[in-house]
Amino acid sequence: MTDKQWDILKRVINGEVFNPMPIGFIIDCPWLPNWYGKNIIDYFSNDEIFFDANLKAINEFPEIMFLPGFWSEYGMCTEPSAFGARCSYPENEFPHAYKMINSADDIDELHQPDPAQDGILPFMLNRLKLVQPKIEAAGHKIRFSVSRGPLNIASYLMGTTELLTTMMMQPDKIETLMKKITQFLKEWHELQRKTFPTIDGILMLDDIIGFLGETEFREFGLPYFKEIYSGDVSVKFLHNDAPCRVSAPILPEMGINLFNMGFDVHLNELKTLTRNSITMLGNLPPRDVLAAGTPEEVEQKTKELIDSLEDRSRIIMSCGGGMPPNVSTENIMAFLKAVKSCR
Amino acid sequence: MSELLDKIEYCIERGKVDKVSPYPPDLRGQDGSDELTKIALESGMNPADILESCNKGMLKIGEKFSRNEVFVPELLMAAKAMKAVMAHLKPYFQTGSVKAKGKFVIGTVAGDLHDIGKNLVSMVAEGSGWEVHDLGVDVKPVKFLDTIKNNPDCIVGLSALLTTTMENMAKTVQEIKKQYPGIRILVGGAPLTKDAAEKMGADGYAHDPQSAVEFLAKFNKAS
Repeated sequence: MTDKQWDILKRVINGEVFNPMPIGFIIDCPWLPNWYGKNIIDYFSNDEIFFDANLKAINEFPEIMFLPGFWSEYGMCTEPSAFGARCSYPENEFPHAYKMINSADDIDELHQPDPAQDGILPFMLNRLKLVQPKIEAAGHKIRFSVSRGPLNIASYLMGTTELLTTMMMQPDKIETLMKKITQFLKEWHELQRKTFPTIDGILMLDDIIGFLGETEFREFGLPYFKEIYSGDVSVKFLHNDAPCRVSAPILPEMGINLFNMGFDVHLNELKTLTRNSITMLGNLPPRDVLAAGTPEEVEQKTKELIDSLEDRSRIIMSCGGGMPPNVSTENIMAFLKAVKSCR
Repeated sequence: MSELLDKIEYCIERGKVDKVSPYPPDLRGQDGSDELTKIALESGMNPADILESCNKGMLKIGEKFSRNEVFVPELLMAAKAMKAVMAHLKPYFQTGSVKAKGKFVIGTVAGDLHDIGKNLVSMVAEGSGWEVHDLGVDVKPVKFLDTIKNNPDCIVGLSALLTTTMENMAKTVQEIKKQYPGIRILVGGAPLTKDAAEKMGADGYAHDPQSAVEFLAKFNKAS
């Protein structure tokens, strides 16, 4: 992100209203490689393709904030790999990690990863180091440390069904697991910040929050998220595009100030639920409208969304979730046009 | 007698598996669905009545889930309690004294390793009296076709979480319909909508486990 974009982001978070409204999208491997005309595996394994794809996006849409911006990632394998999970990389599909905790007793034996050396984390970090001069020459800076959230990582290590049932049957074991993952994540974010002093934000992505009721979230999620988000940065950003009505009122307590959600809850309701203390990045339906709609439909639905807003403060126009696969340049331009026309 | 059935129903609804289970905390130390089913069968109770109690319990928790009164962990625990009952009832299914409502073949489509939606539907369907054939995750179309070949009267459920694997879901629907046009297919998963389900040629769309069971109920062979 450029200095100007970062400044606007912080001002939006502080409640300043911009006209036209700011626009931002989370972009990563589900959209970017194929939009750039490359396979996902090429995007992961070639630093030049990674850089050029990101550069093309920022050059083609200079009015859009891409978050986190030049995100060096390997899909869902990134963090589980540090724990030793088996990872698969189909040629042009999302990578995935296999579970490695087969019973609750395995949790005690789980090794505490070293983010500087374990799994593919060193590759992730080094890729960014290698392209950092080029990113900065393009007028951008690395602003966010990024990871999946602790519940999401736990679900990959253990399997979602097993994680959720063990929460109920052996809560002490899940507490141990969450503590290990949280310690790892704190070190991982700290390492990213130390490596890139331009980092002034944390982004975590965690959809498992959406599966929990308030009681479970308060016990198995909230304390750990709070601990990780307590890092000294300006922007504390959470993505959860699974159901969020239950967790939304608790988000201010978590310490975040920017939230990318799904599209099942209207932005007006989310602002009320979060007491208008958190900036919303959303929430046009990503697949049915932004990806599958015609440019005319995208424009119309975006205008409808903006017109329905009771208050434009603390809102960055985006889709509900990250940029999905197969969103065309034309549809992004239509989105941009709609936002600019709603003054 | 009916008090025992009510207790089994309650254990299913609350997810109380057995006496040693610490969940739910307010029923700690009490018999769960496992012990109560054993007692019920030993006292000569009709297994079909026990299954009916389970169905009622699953229906209650399913409705609570649809109303956002309980969440995925509670639903999974109910399914676990149901599984404990089914272990006792299995011999009665095998002898035919308890009849399943029909066969339900379910799997997460090729390229997708997510199991939570598939597991929830699978467990709730089983708890509602369906003979469930769970093919697991990352299931290629050929595996569905082979299973249908051996179970030509089944209903098929396809699950997907990823947007990219929705395409594989559509391909699976097409391949099944091409070879077995009469087979009914139910689809579900986060990226799906009713419209998308119709476009790919599925017969039904379920946004949650309860709606999946409601779809299946239309084809109940035991009624």
